[in-house]
Amino acid sequence: MEEQLRNKAKELLETGCVKVVIGYGWNRTKTRTAPVFITRPEDADRLVWNPLCVNNLSVYLTRKFKDIQALGKPAIVAKGCDIRNIVVLITEAQVRREDVVIIGMTCGGVVYRQELWKGELKPEIMPTKCANCGVRNPRVADFVIGERSSFTPPEAPTGMVFDKIKAIDAMTPAERWNFWIGEFSRCIKCYACRQVCPLCYCERCITEKNMPQWIETSAHPRGNLSWNLTRAMHLVGRCTFCGECERACPVNIPLNLMNQKMIQVVDEAFAFKSGYDEKTHPPMIVFSPDDKEGFIK
Amino acid sequence: MADGFLKKDDLNRLRASVAAKGGRFVAPVTVARQTVFKETAPSDEVALGYILARNSYKEFLFPQTEAIAEFSIHRQGVELRGKDADARDTVIFGARPCEAASLASLRAVFTWGFIDESYTKREDKTVVITVACTSGDDACFCTTVGLSPESAAGSDVMFHETDADGWLVYAVTEKGRAFIEAHADAWSAAAPEDAVARTLFMPPVIAGVDIKKIGERLKKKDHYDEPLWAELTRKCIGCGACTYVCPTCHCFDITDEGAAFEGERRKNWDSCQYDSFTLHASGHNPRDAQWKRWRNRFMCKFNFYPEKFGSKGCVGCGRCVRVCPVRLDITEVMEEMSKRP
Ligand code: SF4
Ligand code: SF4
Ligand code: SF4
Ligand code: SF4
Ligand code: SF4
Repeated sequence: MEEQLRNKAKELLETGCVKVVIGYGWNRTKTRTAPVFITRPEDADRLVWNPLCVNNLSVYLTRKFKDIQALGKPAIVAKGCDIRNIVVLITEAQVRREDVVIIGMTCGGVVYRQELWKGELKPEIMPTKCANCGVRNPRVADFVIGERSSFTPPEAPTGMVFDKIKAIDAMTPAERWNFWIGEFSRCIKCYACRQVCPLCYCERCITEKNMPQWIETSAHPRGNLSWNLTRAMHLVGRCTFCGECERACPVNIPLNLMNQKMIQVVDEAFAFKSGYDEKTHPPMIVFSPDDKEGFIK
Repeated sequence: MADGFLKKDDLNRLRASVAAKGGRFVAPVTVARQTVFKETAPSDEVALGYILARNSYKEFLFPQTEAIAEFSIHRQGVELRGKDADARDTVIFGARPCEAASLASLRAVFTWGFIDESYTKREDKTVVITVACTSGDDACFCTTVGLSPESAAGSDVMFHETDADGWLVYAVTEKGRAFIEAHADAWSAAAPEDAVARTLFMPPVIAGVDIKKIGERLKKKDHYDEPLWAELTRKCIGCGACTYVCPTCHCFDITDEGAAFEGERRKNWDSCQYDSFTLHASGHNPRDAQWKRWRNRFMCKFNFYPEKFGSKGCVGCGRCVRVCPVRLDITEVMEEMSKRP
C-alpha cells in the first residue's frame, strides 16, 4: 500500500496536478508518525502508511492554514473517517470538492494513541470509532489505495464510549453534573481540542472575542464549563466522532463522550449523520418544515 | 555523604510534618490515568513509578489563573483593590532535575525590570525536592542541553533512590538544609548499610545537536525567513499544549472578569502559539503564519533566554514532545538548526 501511495503522490506532483501532498511520515526515530507536506516528487518516498497514522489531516484544509493553502492545490492522504470531515467542510462551503484531491486509504483501524503501539494492532488499543466503522472503504475519494475491506460494523454500536454514555445516561442530573464538572475541572484551556478539530475552523473563535469577554479565559470551573459546553454546542450535527479532540487533550478529558452523545441526539431528532454526503447540508444550518418539534413543550 | 535517609513508608510522615507546620505538599499523583503534580490531600497517594509528571510544577509558583485585583465601579468612580499573592510554604516533592533547573529561568523573567512579587514571594516560600531519575523515555533529552539526572541546579533537596526501600537525602541549598532540620522527625539520620544509590537513567545525547551552533545561528537575523522554518514546523496546529506543559514558558495575559459593575482582574496563562497573541488592534499580525509562531517559541528557548538572561530556555524535559498532537519534536528542529552556521 505504501508503495502505491508513494507512486500516486509522485505522479500527482510530477504532472503538476497538485502542488502539495499532505500525508504521514516518520519522526526521526521511526517510532511515531507525524503530518508531512510533500512538495517535491522525489520526497514522496517519505510518505508512510500504518496503524500509527492517527491524525485527521483534513484540519490542514481549513482556512486557519493560509500558508499551506499558499503552497497550491493539495492532495490529502485520508482514511474513510477523515474523509467524513472533508465532506462536512464541503457542505459548509469551506472547501470545494474540485479543489482537493483525496487519496483514500482502505483502513484496518488505527491506534487510539501512538504511545500505545507495541507492534501489533489489537482491539483494546483502538478507538471506539474503529470498532463501528462503516467507512473502512473510503467513499468520496479520487483514488482509493489498498485492498477492499470486508469489515461490516456491528448492528448495535459497541465500545467503551457507548458503554460510558449508557452509564452517564443512567445517572441523576446531579450525578451527571458532578461527573462533568469533575472532568472539566482539569481543563487547562490550551485549546488543543479546538486547534486539532477540522471543524473548528473559525479564524476568530468566540473565546477570542474579548469586548466583552464572552467566554472567560480563566481555567477556573466557571471558565472551563463555559468553554467546554460552548465548543460542544458549536459542533452539534457537525462532529463526525473522529476523536481528534480527545486524542489531543493533554489532560484526558473524555470529549468523545460528549461528541457521541450529540451525534445520537442529532440522529434521533433529524435522522442525520454528518460526513456521509457532500450534497446534504447539516441540519443546524437548514430549516425544514418536517423538523420534529418535540423539544417544544 | 548523605544528609539523611527517608524510608518510602515514612513519606507520609514527612507530608504530615509539612502539613502540621501549615505548608502545602505538592507531589505527583495519578489523576485520570496520568501522573500530575497536585497539591495533595491526606487521602492522595503519591505516585512513585513515574517518569515525569504531565504538568510542570510551575503552576504552583505561577498559577494558571490568579486574581491580581478586584474592581468595582460606582457613581464616584472606579475602585481598584490590589490582591496580594497567597504565598504559602510549599514543598514540591518529586521534581526531576530538568524541571528544577527551570526555576532560575522563570525567576529571571519575573524579576526582569519589574519584580513580579506574585512569583517571587511564592518561589521564596517553596522547597523543591528533586528525585533523580532512574527511568526515562524516548522524549527525555536533558543530556543534550547540558543537564543530566544528576544536575542539582534549582533543587533545594536531592533524593536518590536506593534498593533499601527509601531515598538518600542530600541538602543542596541552605533552604534545603533548613527544611531537613525542620522536619528532622521524618527521616532517619543515617542510611542503612545497603542503601546504595541506584544507577541513574542517562538519555543518550542526540549527536546531531549542537546548542552553541544553534545559538549562533539564531543570533544572526538572516535565519528569520529561511524556508526551513516553514518546512519543519508548518504541521504545528497552534494549540498551546506545549507551552502550557513547558517548565520555562511563562507568558500570561491580563483579563477582566465579572459583572458590569464589579469584578476581578485576572492574570491567566497565555501562549505564543495562539494567533491572537500578537494580533494588533489594527488587524495586522506580525506572526501571521503558524510556523512564525513556532519560530518564536524556538527563539525564546535558544536565543532570548540564553542571550538576555544567561539561563536555559529549554531544559530537555521532553514534555512538549510528548504532548504535541502532531508530534512536532523540538529536537528534530534543533538537529536541523545545528547543521548550518
Ligand atoms: S474509523 Fe474506520 S477509517 Fe477511521 S481509522 Fe478507524 S477503521 Fe480506519
Ligand atoms: S471528534 Fe472532536 S475533533 Fe473530531 S469532529 Fe468531533 S469535535 Fe472535532
Ligand atoms: S484540549 Fe482539553 S485541556 Fe485543552 S482546552 Fe480542550 S478540553 Fe481543555
Ligand atoms: S521546550 Fe519542551 S523539552 Fe524544552 S523545557 Fe520546554 S517542554 Fe521541556
Ligand atoms: S508544537 Fe505541537 S503542542 Fe505546540 S502548539 Fe504546535 S501542535 Fe500544539
